[in-house]
Amino acid sequence: MPGSEVAAIRFVETTKHYGEVVGLERLTLDIAMEEIVGLLGPNGAGKPTAIRTLLGLLKPTAGRAEIFGIDAWQHPVDAHRTLAFVPGEFHVWPQLTGGQILDLLGAVSGGYEPAFRDKLVERFNFDPSKRGRSYSKGNRQKIAVIAALMTRAPLLVMDEPSSGLDPLMTATFQDCLREAKAAGQTIFLSSHILSEVEAVCDRVAVLREGILVEHGTLAELRHLHANTVEATYLGAPPDLEGVPGVEDVQVRDGRIRLHVTGSTDPLLKALARAQVVAIQMREPTLEELFHAYYDETTHAADTAA
Amino acid sequence: MATKLSPQRPTSGPASTAAAAVTTRLPAGVWWRTYRHHLRLLRNTAIAWTVALAGIGAGVVATFEDRVPTEAARAAADALEGVPAFEALLGRFVRPGSLEGFVLSRWTGMFAIAVAVWGMLAATKLLRGAEQAGHTEPLRAGALSPRGLLSSAVAAMLTWFAIFAVAVGATHSAAGMDAATSWALGSAMGLLAATLAAVGTLASQVAATRRRATQLAGTVLGAALAVRVLAAATTTPDWVWWATPFGWIGFLHKVDEARTAVFAAFAVLVVLLFAAAFGFARRDLHAGIVGGTEPAATQARPVGGQLGLTARIAGAAVAGWAAVLAAAAFVFTVLVDDFVAIWADMDVEAAAIYEQMGYVALDTHEGFVAIILGFFFVIGVALFSAAQTAAIREEEASWRIEHLLARPVGRVRWLVTRTLAAAIGVVVLGVAVGVVVWVATALGGTALAFGDALLAGVNLMPAALLFLGLGILVFGLLPRLTAPLTFGLVIAAYLLDFVGPLLELPDGLLDVSPFRHLAAVPASELDIIAALIMLGIGALAALIGVAAFRHRDLKEA
Repeated sequence: MPGSEVAAIRFVETTKHYGEVVGLERLTLDIAMEEIVGLLGPNGAGKPTAIRTLLGLLKPTAGRAEIFGIDAWQHPVDAHRTLAFVPGEFHVWPQLTGGQILDLLGAVSGGYEPAFRDKLVERFNFDPSKRGRSYSKGNRQKIAVIAALMTRAPLLVMDEPSSGLDPLMTATFQDCLREAKAAGQTIFLSSHILSEVEAVCDRVAVLREGILVEHGTLAELRHLHANTVEATYLGAPPDLEGVPGVEDVQVRDGRIRLHVTGSTDPLLKALARAQVVAIQMREPTLEELFHAYYDETTHAADTAA
Repeated sequence: MATKLSPQRPTSGPASTAAAAVTTRLPAGVWWRTYRHHLRLLRNTAIAWTVALAGIGAGVVATFEDRVPTEAARAAADALEGVPAFEALLGRFVRPGSLEGFVLSRWTGMFAIAVAVWGMLAATKLLRGAEQAGHTEPLRAGALSPRGLLSSAVAAMLTWFAIFAVAVGATHSAAGMDAATSWALGSAMGLLAATLAAVGTLASQVAATRRRATQLAGTVLGAALAVRVLAAATTTPDWVWWATPFGWIGFLHKVDEARTAVFAAFAVLVVLLFAAAFGFARRDLHAGIVGGTEPAATQARPVGGQLGLTARIAGAAVAGWAAVLAAAAFVFTVLVDDFVAIWADMDVEAAAIYEQMGYVALDTHEGFVAIILGFFFVIGVALFSAAQTAAIREEEASWRIEHLLARPVGRVRWLVTRTLAAAIGVVVLGVAVGVVVWVATALGGTALAFGDALLAGVNLMPAALLFLGLGILVFGLLPRLTAPLTFGLVIAAYLLDFVGPLLELPDGLLDVSPFRHLAAVPASELDIIAALIMLGIGALAALIGVAAFRHRDLKEA
């Protein structure tokens, strides 16, 4: 990211403690304009805390969070002029209709194009004439998504945005994200739907127990983690003893399966010494990456116990 | 547990776990656990109401001798029996110069209303409130039928009312009141709570939302009280007392020899109401006859921005409160001529005793209106303030506030707008009561001067605005305690003002209650200094509350 350019989002040593409990610990992360960044982490990792601190809804215990260079806690109103927010669970005003809620949120955001709103309402197959209390969870979430998208805000902050949406609407939502990116909007979203993050995000940040444990492009993250290799051989199995980066070797019925981290050159040379007739190498999926971090958490907790 | 299974069933592995789970889901066990769950949900409020009411009632018993010390005073007090003005305030009572009559007259007055409100709110919260919040769904998905679930909730409520009845009987008896009357009083008050809980239970089955259920049950409660006021008028026949449970509790004195009839009437009504509620219990989740269907609102006008939203939310609340308070003001004051005429003929010594108790100038229209407003409406408008602060907190607790504050809406602007809307609501309620009093007195025969009636309404505002400011202060500093603390402050101040003197509490403590500093307008001049002090304290508290809110985290429920 160019040093002179103002980041869309900047966490600077952002820390949030709830008494003894750590919500967020010295989070430092920049998100450039027009990027889509996904925030991942198991339950309790601190994702909502990060987002609510960014929105100025929680006061950082230390550090700060900025939106387009504006401190979100000190100047929340100025910071919010450039963003739209989608919460993970949208609590509606029960007495207002969906249309009234959209109008309200559009009005307090500084305005919107009714024609674009109507187009989104149609795309998400949403009925705006019902009272808030009669919407299902999925329909309530549609209100939040439409209300955010219809403002065409330069920055979209989303906390589990597709929670409650059915697969068709999730696909529509992802299309909208791609269009928003193409239109130059920046998107920061937390999600449990890893395929969604994988499909739309340029970069991923992983939180664990309030600490940023990893961030980078998917390619960079994959580089840091093991690839899965499966090979079929004839005769004796390949001798992989002492090959750097190789682990979890499983040999059965003429097939060998293993994980390799770092350079694959020593592995390929070792395999070449055997009668290998087929080989397949696969990068880890985001789900596998996520599980790697999650399992480490669980393992650490078990060890501590 | 596996050893209790039949030999045909597997005794190890996952299947036995499933079988064990089945055995623990026998309806009786589930019913018992659900009943205990409901008991727990009601516990805190039930204990608070029981301790407060039984304690204060026992205090009234203990201080009777000091309050009415001489034979002459007792005779004078007895002379008030059947005086409509007092019966309108306190319900039917006999021999107020005797210990039993004096204590019973207190219970038939404000205490009975408090007991009824408790019973009603307990039912609507436990039944429709829990259902609306989604707490009922997992219970309904369990082994209990809808009626089983309802019966466990009803049993829990009745348990607490029984404990309350025992507490009243025991404390009053211990404090020196005749045992039979003490236990009769306790039983009747427990039955009154059960009656309004039954009304609330039925309303919770019929109405689709907690708010609608509370409105429905509240309307019934209001109507029952209105009947009591009508029964107090000299022009209505005596049997009208028997048309409302608030009339029945006026027949508890032993000289009436009507306790059996009172208990029988309560028992029949409670059984009928609960039976009706059970009849409606087999229905769809979240469904109701009233407010169950949401009409499509394609014509709904845009709300506009935050101001529009605030106006809409606060406007609906103000309209509801104004309707109830105006209706009550009308019922009380339309009969003013009747009450005042009786008072004017009262024995001088009896009047003097009641003047000592604060009931001044009841022989004038202004005096009667001042007493009525001071007795019922000051707390009514103050409760509106508490309800508004609770509603402000609810916006935060439900995280609806997040939709606004994550957009370019400042916290200070949001809270100041909501607070000002509530303050305007207080002004509207005061003016509405003043205007209705003027209209009702005119229809009753002798109109108050419009300015006097309006000032009487204005006099309701300072204490309410003070409590609004205190509520905002609590919201800023201790948001999760906003509703209990603000409502608690209003009720504590009211009890301090009305019951404190009966308990002979020191003046320094009594003066803490803002209600004590309100002049008896329109019988007296508006106390502008006291009003300004209350407004000043309220404004300062609100400012501190707003500043605290600006600098704290948002907090969920």
